[in-house]
Amino acid sequence: MHNVWLIARREYVERVRTRGFLITTVMIPLIMGALLFGSAFVSSKSEPGTHIAVVSSDPQLALDLQSELQQQVTRPSSAKHPQFTVDAMDIVPQSAQATRTILDQELDSGDLDGYLWITPAATPARAESARPTFTFTPRSSEQSYLRSQLAAALGTVLMREQLAHHGIVADDADTMLQPVDILTAHVPHHDDRESAEVSITILFVLMYMVIALYGMNVARSIIEEKTSRIFEVMLATIRPEEMMAGKILGVGSVGITQVGIWLTAALLLSASAIASNLGGQGIHVALTAAQIVYFFVYFILGYAFYSSIAAALGAMTNSEHELQQLNLFLVLPLVVCFVTLKSILTYPDSAMARVLALIPPFTPLLMYLRVSLGHPSHWTVFASIALTSASIYAIVWVSSRIYRVGVLMYGKRPTLPELLRWLKYS
Amino acid sequence: MSIVQLNHIRKVYDTKVAVDDLSFTIEPGTMFGLLGPNGSGKTSSIRMMIGITVPDSGSVSLFDQPFTRSALPRVGYLPEERGLYKKMNVLDQLIFLGQLHGLSASVASRRASLWCERLDIVEAIPKKTEDLSKGMQQKIQFIAALLHDPDLILMDEPFSGLDPVNSFLMMSTLVDLCSIGKAVLFSTHRMDQVEKFCNNIALIHRGHLVLSGSMREIKSIYPRNRVLIHFEGGDGFLNHPSIEHVKRYNGNVEIKLRPSATLDEDAQSLLAQAIAHARVSRFEVMEPTLEEIFIEKVQETSPVKNDRDLSLAQLDQPNKGGLDA
Repeated sequence: MHNVWLIARREYVERVRTRGFLITTVMIPLIMGALLFGSAFVSSKSEPGTHIAVVSSDPQLALDLQSELQQQVTRPSSAKHPQFTVDAMDIVPQSAQATRTILDQELDSGDLDGYLWITPAATPARAESARPTFTFTPRSSEQSYLRSQLAAALGTVLMREQLAHHGIVADDADTMLQPVDILTAHVPHHDDRESAEVSITILFVLMYMVIALYGMNVARSIIEEKTSRIFEVMLATIRPEEMMAGKILGVGSVGITQVGIWLTAALLLSASAIASNLGGQGIHVALTAAQIVYFFVYFILGYAFYSSIAAALGAMTNSEHELQQLNLFLVLPLVVCFVTLKSILTYPDSAMARVLALIPPFTPLLMYLRVSLGHPSHWTVFASIALTSASIYAIVWVSSRIYRVGVLMYGKRPTLPELLRWLKYS
Repeated sequence: MSIVQLNHIRKVYDTKVAVDDLSFTIEPGTMFGLLGPNGSGKTSSIRMMIGITVPDSGSVSLFDQPFTRSALPRVGYLPEERGLYKKMNVLDQLIFLGQLHGLSASVASRRASLWCERLDIVEAIPKKTEDLSKGMQQKIQFIAALLHDPDLILMDEPFSGLDPVNSFLMMSTLVDLCSIGKAVLFSTHRMDQVEKFCNNIALIHRGHLVLSGSMREIKSIYPRNRVLIHFEGGDGFLNHPSIEHVKRYNGNVEIKLRPSATLDEDAQSLLAQAIAHARVSRFEVMEPTLEEIFIEKVQETSPVKNDRDLSLAQLDQPNKGGLDA
């Protein structure tokens, strides 16, 4: 045990002292922060207004539609909708084709995002019941979301027209047509889910990055020792298992230190006034103590799982280059977790989430999402930890055997049958 | 009491027998030379002595006890493939390696400074290992093997790549350690080093023990049938009837005499004939060198054709890749 401690301490001290550690500790939060604030900034400020044209022989309808669309923007419930610029155009029957051509050209050049063509109803005699035909031509399929907005606005406009027909005063009509806003009430213990989602996503990405990064670091440091041949001196006094354990613990502690620094900084920042000034739009860390504790539990499990695989990969290979080829085993399960992130974030208790989160390679990352955002039962959480711990034990067993032989082996990379023979070797 | 005792150890790697039926004993206070060409099983034998690998059959005893890992703090090992943590400060590195051998940090630090003084590399102490020259790194590694005052010192090719001054410094350090009762084993393929310093040797070839015993005994078995002559002038004397074989070099010849009961007289008669033909500046009658004994022995035990060509040039070839047997 003493030897494991010595090796872990050396690994830790030497790594924390490097400039690389300092740089990643400072730079990664800066980059992540810049990305977050940057994307928030881009989505809030530079969203371009939507410019559409309404072509109608009925100028009143066009004007009503114009004011309705522009009004939508000022309502609080539609804060996310972009600014509308609406050009009302008259239609001259003879030059309909010419008008279309001009509009199409404007669509192509990007001046217009779409145009609405209102063809008057065929039988003007029964104007109340017959509705004109509306044809919307968006610039591209990206603009097709405008359709529903247009439909809503048109509905309101036509409704108001009908109400006016029936002799209802404009003010009353407005009151009747006032859209209903549903406010989200805050559940006491579950406040601000949206910002929790953001925080958990950040932690998820953090866990993903740190596990991948430090797992690779374990493999790399083993290769480094193979190339520098230092391990032969070490093996003269200590067991390969001790060496591997020390390495994993040492490198892992560096990772925990780094994450600890980041989290502390994030919590301090969000508690201070600066954060509320800077990131007023919901980008603040809203985490419960349980979410933080679970983060470290699953982080340690995940790290132990992947770093012991990495240790075996490192022991099997002789160079960084060869390691890259085997990298897939390490990165693929992590990527699977990343791919499912969005769906599990939205439905943390779905069947898929429940199954995946119990499969050991995915457990650390996915069960963490479920624990933080969903409602897994206690036994599920317990089972996930137990299953992962058991598989970590198995992997460490296999890895230490591969390590034991592989670390003394140099030359070619072992084949699968050779690997199996290594496992039998004492 | 014996420090190391190998009993019929055997080690087979996938397709290759690295060590086969190897036995020898090392007593305290001996300088033991483990000799053999590359790939003959030297490193494999040493690794089995300290439990890095386990023999397939046979047994290893250290300090009169069957091998256990608890004996390892009494062993100092300098591996053939040198390795140190490149980015680490020299003193930290020595302290770390000392601690792994059971020293406390303060003792390790004090001894490290003393050793650096003794080996004349005090200026290296505060530096990073990667900033040192290769020779200096070797000295650091040498110190690392000795820091914990081991009773058994195993040196795998300790002088490869060292200049003569530093080789001598290290060799005399080892001789000093030997004189205070430590057992030193060093492996080499440089037979000339062994002749000078070793009390005992074991010659191995292809994993088999070819020859072992004390240097004096071994040499005394062999007759003084080698003659070295430096000369100027004609070489007509080389047709002397007692000559079995001649190697010609620039200005000198190495002669092997025919086996006979009267080797001394044959040599004198050869000298007389040489003086008659040329101007002799040096004449020496010797026993065969260890290298010659080795080659002879190898040819006796395994009369395979290519062993005949075994020469120093071949012995010096570095071994590349694969498990170093």
